[in-house]
Amino acid sequence: MNKIGCPADNRKIVSPETTVKSAGTDTRISETFAELGYKTIIDLLPSYISIQDHSLRILFVNQTFKNDFGNGVGELCHVVYKKSEERCANCPVQKTFSDKRVHLSEETVRLSNGEFSQVIVYSAPITDISGNVVAVMEMATNITRVKEMQKELAILGQSFAMLSHDIKNILEGLQGGAYVVDEGLKDKDPELTRKGWEVVKKNITEISIVVQNILYSAKKRKPRHERVSPDSLAREVVYLLEEKAKSLNVQLRCSCNPSLPQVLVDPASIKRMLCNLIGNAIEACKLDKEKDTHTVTVRADFYDRTHFAFEVEDDGVGMDECTKSNLFKGFFSTKGCNGTGLGLLVVDKIIKEHGGRIEVLTTPGKGSTFRVIFKIQ
Amino acid sequence: MAARPKILIVDDNTDYLFTMETFLSRNGFDTVTAEDGKKGYELALKEKPDLILLDIMMEGLFSGFQFCKKKLADPELQDVPVIGISGLGDELGVDTEKYKFIKKYFSPETFFEKPVDKEKLLAKIKELIGT
Repeated sequence: MNKIGCPADNRKIVSPETTVKSAGTDTRISETFAELGYKTIIDLLPSYISIQDHSLRILFVNQTFKNDFGNGVGELCHVVYKKSEERCANCPVQKTFSDKRVHLSEETVRLSNGEFSQVIVYSAPITDISGNVVAVMEMATNITRVKEMQKELAILGQSFAMLSHDIKNILEGLQGGAYVVDEGLKDKDPELTRKGWEVVKKNITEISIVVQNILYSAKKRKPRHERVSPDSLAREVVYLLEEKAKSLNVQLRCSCNPSLPQVLVDPASIKRMLCNLIGNAIEACKLDKEKDTHTVTVRADFYDRTHFAFEVEDDGVGMDECTKSNLFKGFFSTKGCNGTGLGLLVVDKIIKEHGGRIEVLTTPGKGSTFRVIFKIQ
Repeated sequence: MAARPKILIVDDNTDYLFTMETFLSRNGFDTVTAEDGKKGYELALKEKPDLILLDIMMEGLFSGFQFCKKKLADPELQDVPVIGISGLGDELGVDTEKYKFIKKYFSPETFFEKPVDKEKLLAKIKELIGT
């Protein structure tokens, strides 16, 4: 073996895939190449380079590889990359040994520091003068960040689909409501006009909620803290959603402790949070077909001597464990056609911004209680 | 006077039920409505409508697809035409070209996206009922 770990007769090895062409007429670049030497250049490459034999034993690695996986030479590829005794199911190196072609795969590897990374792996044959594959060069590039971005894009795409669907339903409501108003006016029927106008108003409330949730989830908004009474915040939101609750046969109650002191919060955020929680509670009642009428109760009270809590309790469908555990994941919705899944994501964000916490108590078929606890400041 | 054709509207959106009911009743049809697939199916058997306007993505276990599946096997209802309505459409892949099982229930011409073009819907209803 020579110093880079290749077989001693490497003068016979011809590797078209790894040939570095002259840098053209620019002699300075050529000189720099010559000074550095290919070994240094290979070491500098921001990819993990290794050369492996038939048994997947590593013969050579570059410096980037050593930095993240240790020396590795003499060990088996899968042991070093995956800390596994088993060969990878889709090993590109083995494929290259059998057909002399370049292969590609995506793998999850484990770095020496225990972290996991996703890599894209290319394998290329190193042949002798007779064209026999004597070794395979493997180049693995870390694509963890790319994969994370892919996930974010997938979530974004999903969110646009859900939002677009939600907005379509609201548009249907607005158009339908406007149609009824028109018909009522045409017939001079004030009752029909009023009913149509109620549909329009309800859908205007819906679209404002959706738009504000988009803004809250997308923008980095600096909270504007003020001293306010929790009671007045709860009452404002209850007033806003009364119409929606009434139309679904849900009684919306507000029961707040008047001796609660004023608290330092961002009122706009807290109202947004309550709006989403109460909106969800109303929807949970709508899903429950067992009862004709339902009740949603909003409370603000002391939690203990140093904390206060908002509570939104409904007697709707309740949730199973699976639903409960997925609640705060982006764009998870149990509301089928009527949910973007954005609401609880926004709730979670607002609670974190205020250093609070949330408790969820629920029983399938009985209802749910969402309790948000904040420190009294 | 000839009896007005009867249309069953099944949708879990009560606003939609109300506005569609207003629209259809003002265009020469009698209407019956149901807020979910199960009630809708019971009503279909009881009222024997001339056409069903069906939301395909309703919440709960009895969605529009279940409705259609049951209806296809039911001699009492299998000949009643159904118009599918959805707000999901292409965004989530409810694509009549791509998914053959949707084709089984709705031809592309009997599948409408929300917000529904009421004039086109009316023309399709008249064509299917033969009024």
